[in-house]
Amino acid sequence: MIGYYFSLAMRSLRGTPILSALMVAAIAVGVGASMTVLTLNYMMSQNALSHKDEVLFAVQLDSWDPNASYRGDSNLTRMPWELTYRDAQALLRSDTPSRQVAMHRWGATVTVDDSEMRPFIGQTRVTTRDFFALFDVDFLHGGTWEKNADSNPAQQVVITRKTNEKLFGGENSVGETINMDGHPFTVIGVIENWNPVPKVHDLNNGAFDDSEAFYIPFGLHRKLEIFSWGNTNSWKHEEDLEGFEGFLQSESVWIQYWVELHTDEQKQRFENFLTSYIQEQKAQGRFERPLKFGLTQPSEWLVVNEVLRDDNRVLGWLSLAFLLVCVVNAVALLLAKFLRKAPEAGVRRALGASRNAIFTQHLIESVCIGILGGLMGILLSMFGLSAVKSLAMGFADRIAQMDWLMMLSAVGLAVVASLLAGLYPAWRISRTSPSIYLKTQ
Amino acid sequence: MLELRPILSALWRHKISALLIAVQLGLTLAIVGNATVVIQERIERIARPTGVAVTDIVTAQFMPIAKNYDRLEAFRLDLDMIRQLPGVAAATVSRAPLTGGGSGTGLYTAPNQEIGATGGAQFWGDEHLIDALGMKLVAGRAFTPNDITEASFSSGWRPNMAIVTQQLADKLFANGEALGQSIYFSGEDNPIEIVGIVERNLGPWPNSHNAGSTVFFPAVMDTQWFDYVVRAEPGQREAVAKLLEEKLAERDPQRVVAVNLLEDKLDRYYAGDNTMIQVLSGVVSMLTFIVALGIVGLTVFWITQRQKQIGVRRALGASRSAISRYFLLENLMIATTGIVLGTAAAQIFNRFLASEFEQPALPLSTTAICALILFGISLAAALVPALRAANISPAMATRSV
Repeated sequence: MIGYYFSLAMRSLRGTPILSALMVAAIAVGVGASMTVLTLNYMMSQNALSHKDEVLFAVQLDSWDPNASYRGDSNLTRMPWELTYRDAQALLRSDTPSRQVAMHRWGATVTVDDSEMRPFIGQTRVTTRDFFALFDVDFLHGGTWEKNADSNPAQQVVITRKTNEKLFGGENSVGETINMDGHPFTVIGVIENWNPVPKVHDLNNGAFDDSEAFYIPFGLHRKLEIFSWGNTNSWKHEEDLEGFEGFLQSESVWIQYWVELHTDEQKQRFENFLTSYIQEQKAQGRFERPLKFGLTQPSEWLVVNEVLRDDNRVLGWLSLAFLLVCVVNAVALLLAKFLRKAPEAGVRRALGASRNAIFTQHLIESVCIGILGGLMGILLSMFGLSAVKSLAMGFADRIAQMDWLMMLSAVGLAVVASLLAGLYPAWRISRTSPSIYLKTQ
Repeated sequence: MLELRPILSALWRHKISALLIAVQLGLTLAIVGNATVVIQERIERIARPTGVAVTDIVTAQFMPIAKNYDRLEAFRLDLDMIRQLPGVAAATVSRAPLTGGGSGTGLYTAPNQEIGATGGAQFWGDEHLIDALGMKLVAGRAFTPNDITEASFSSGWRPNMAIVTQQLADKLFANGEALGQSIYFSGEDNPIEIVGIVERNLGPWPNSHNAGSTVFFPAVMDTQWFDYVVRAEPGQREAVAKLLEEKLAERDPQRVVAVNLLEDKLDRYYAGDNTMIQVLSGVVSMLTFIVALGIVGLTVFWITQRQKQIGVRRALGASRSAISRYFLLENLMIATTGIVLGTAAAQIFNRFLASEFEQPALPLSTTAICALILFGISLAAALVPALRAANISPAMATRSV
C-alpha cells in the first residue's frame, strides 16, 4: 500500500510541477540554510578528547590581581586561563596525577643542514614528556624524551608525520638533526598527525588553528630564553625582577596545564595538594584572592572557553526560525495543492477509502516533498559552507565541512519539516465529504 | 469605494490559508528586523575610522635563522634601507595595529596606585611613529630623535614621556587638560609626561571594549614581537610590499621574512563580523524571496478557485480595476495582520537575543522600515496574479467549471 501511495504522490507532484517545485524549493532553502549554520555549530562543538573526558582536567589557579578582573570587566571571580611558570613547576613536582602536562605555544625558524629547503617558521609546542600519552598521540617512530628533560635542557624534538615528510621525505628520521633558531635539535620521535578540531588542549590561541608541527621539552626555557607565542598576561609590577629569570619568577600567566586523574580518591588527593600549595603560597604573600582553583573536564573546558561563540548561537536560532517560515510556507502551499485535488480524494472516499487512508496518502506525498527538499538542501548547505569558508578567510577551513551524520540529519530535518507541514493539510483533505465532489462531477 | 466587507467574509472562508500567509510575514519580519540590527551594528563597527592610514601601510617582520642575532643592529640597517626605497613615505619599527595581536597596560594619574587603572593598548616606536602610521597629531608634539631609547624587552626600562590618543586622554583626565600631565604604571612613582595627543588609533584589538585607548612610548624595543610599519605613497603599497620582500632578504638572507598589507590583516581581523554580515544578508534575502513565492503561489491558487465568481462579477458590471483592487486589498489586509503580529514577534525575539547573547536592541524605527519593505514586497507579489485576474472574461460566468 505504501508503495502505491508513493507512486500516487510522484504522479501528483508531476501533475502540478510549479507548485511542487515551489514547495521543494521552500523546504530545500530552509534546510540548506539551517544545516549550513547547524553544521558549523556542530563541528565547533566537537570534543576530540571525549574518550578521556572523565579522566582529563584542565588546571586553573586563581593567582590573579585581587583588585581587578582578569578580563578587565567587573567580575573579580574569574580565574586566569593559564598558570605562572613557577606554579607550573611546583605542580609538576606532585606525583599524584597519573600524567600531567605543562605547555605553551612557541615558534622558531627551522633549517636542516645541507638541505635545499627554504627556512620556515615552525609552529612549536613546548611541553612535558607526558603530552603524547595524556592526549593519546601515537608514535610512528621513536618516542618521547626522558623525564629529566622536563627540568633540564635537552635539545630534542618530536615532529609530526607531515613535518617528517616535508623535512626527511618520510624516512625514519630519529637521530637526525634540525636547527631551531640556530640551535641544533635531535629528532627523537615522529608522531602520527594529530589535529583535533577544535584544538581542545589549547583554546587560547585560535581554537580552530592547526596543531603544532614540532614538540620540544619543557626544560629549555632558561637556555633558549623562550617566551610564549600564546597569551601572556600579567597584572603585577615587580620591580625587583629583572631579565628572563625575572619573567620566569613573575606573576605573568602563560602556561597551560592538564592532569590525568583516574579515581575520585586520586582527584581528592590532587585537590588537597592544590589547596595546601595555595595556602603555602598565601603565607608567602602570593594568591591574594580567596583560595580557588579549577579542575575542568575537556567537554566543560570547551564550554567555558566559549568556543561556540554567541554569534554562532544567534545564527543557530535565526536559521531555525528561518526553517519555521519555510515550514509555514509549505503548509500554505500544500493546503492549496491538496484542496485543488479534493475531487480526487472525494472519489476515492466514495469508492471506499477510509479517512485514514486518505490522510496517509497525503502525508506520504508531503514526505516525498521533504526527501526531495532534503537532498537539494544538502547541495545548498554544501554551497553555503563553501561560501562561509571563503568569507571566514581561513578561520573556518576545518569546520565548514559536512560529514555523513550531518547529511543524514539534513534529510531527516527535511522529512520532519515536511511531515509537520503536511499534517494539517492532510487532515483537512481527509475530512472532506465525498458527496460534494460527486455532485459536481 | 472599498469593498471591505465582502473581502472580509471571503477571507473568513479561507481563514487558515490567510492566517498562514500572515504568520509567514510576521515571522519574516521578526527575523529580518533582528538580522538587520545585527548587520547594521557590524557594518558600523567595520566602518569606524581607525585613525591610521590602513590602505597605505605595509608591514614586515623577520625571524633570524642564526642564534644570538643582533636585532637592534638589524632594525637600524633595515630602516635605513627601507627609508631610501622609492614609494616609501615613512617607516618605523613598532607593532602593526588592528591585527589582533599586541600588548596592553594599566595607567594611573597618580603615583603608587594599584586600584582603578585605566586600561590601554601600548605601542613603542621612534620619531617616525606618527608619520609612519599616518596618525593626526591634535595637540602637543611628536617624539624627537633625542627622546628615543633602545631598550630590551625584559630590562625594566621605563619611559618618561608618552603620546596618547584623544580617547585615552579624555578617560584619564576628564577635565580635558591631559597635555603636560603625568601618568604612572601600577604601583610606580616614575612619572610619564604626556607630550602629545593623536586624534585616534583603534589599537591592536578594534573589537575590544576599550579599543581606541592607546598609548605610545618613545623606544625601539628589542623583542621578537615587532613589525616594520611602512607607509607607502598613495597607490604604491603593492610595489613597496614587493620591494620590501626583495630588499629585506637581500640585505640579510639569514632570516625568514613576512610582508603583509595592513588592509589584508584588518580584513582578516574582521572576517568573523564580515561572515556574520554576509550570512545574515543571505538569510534575509532568501527569506524574503521564499515568502514572496508563497504569496504568489497562494494568490494564484485563490484566483483559479474563484474564476467563476470573478466572471460573474465582471458580467455584473465590475470593472477590471475593481477586480485587481479586490485582490490587492485582500493582500493588504493579510499583510497588515502579518505585520502587526510580526512587530510583536520581532520585539519578543529581540528581547531573547539581547538577554542571552548581548545582541543590540531593535529600535522601532528599524522594525517600521523593515515592515514597510515587506509590505511592498507582499503587494508586488500579489500584483501580477491580481492583474491577470482582471483579464478573466465575463464569459467565464456562463461556463460551468
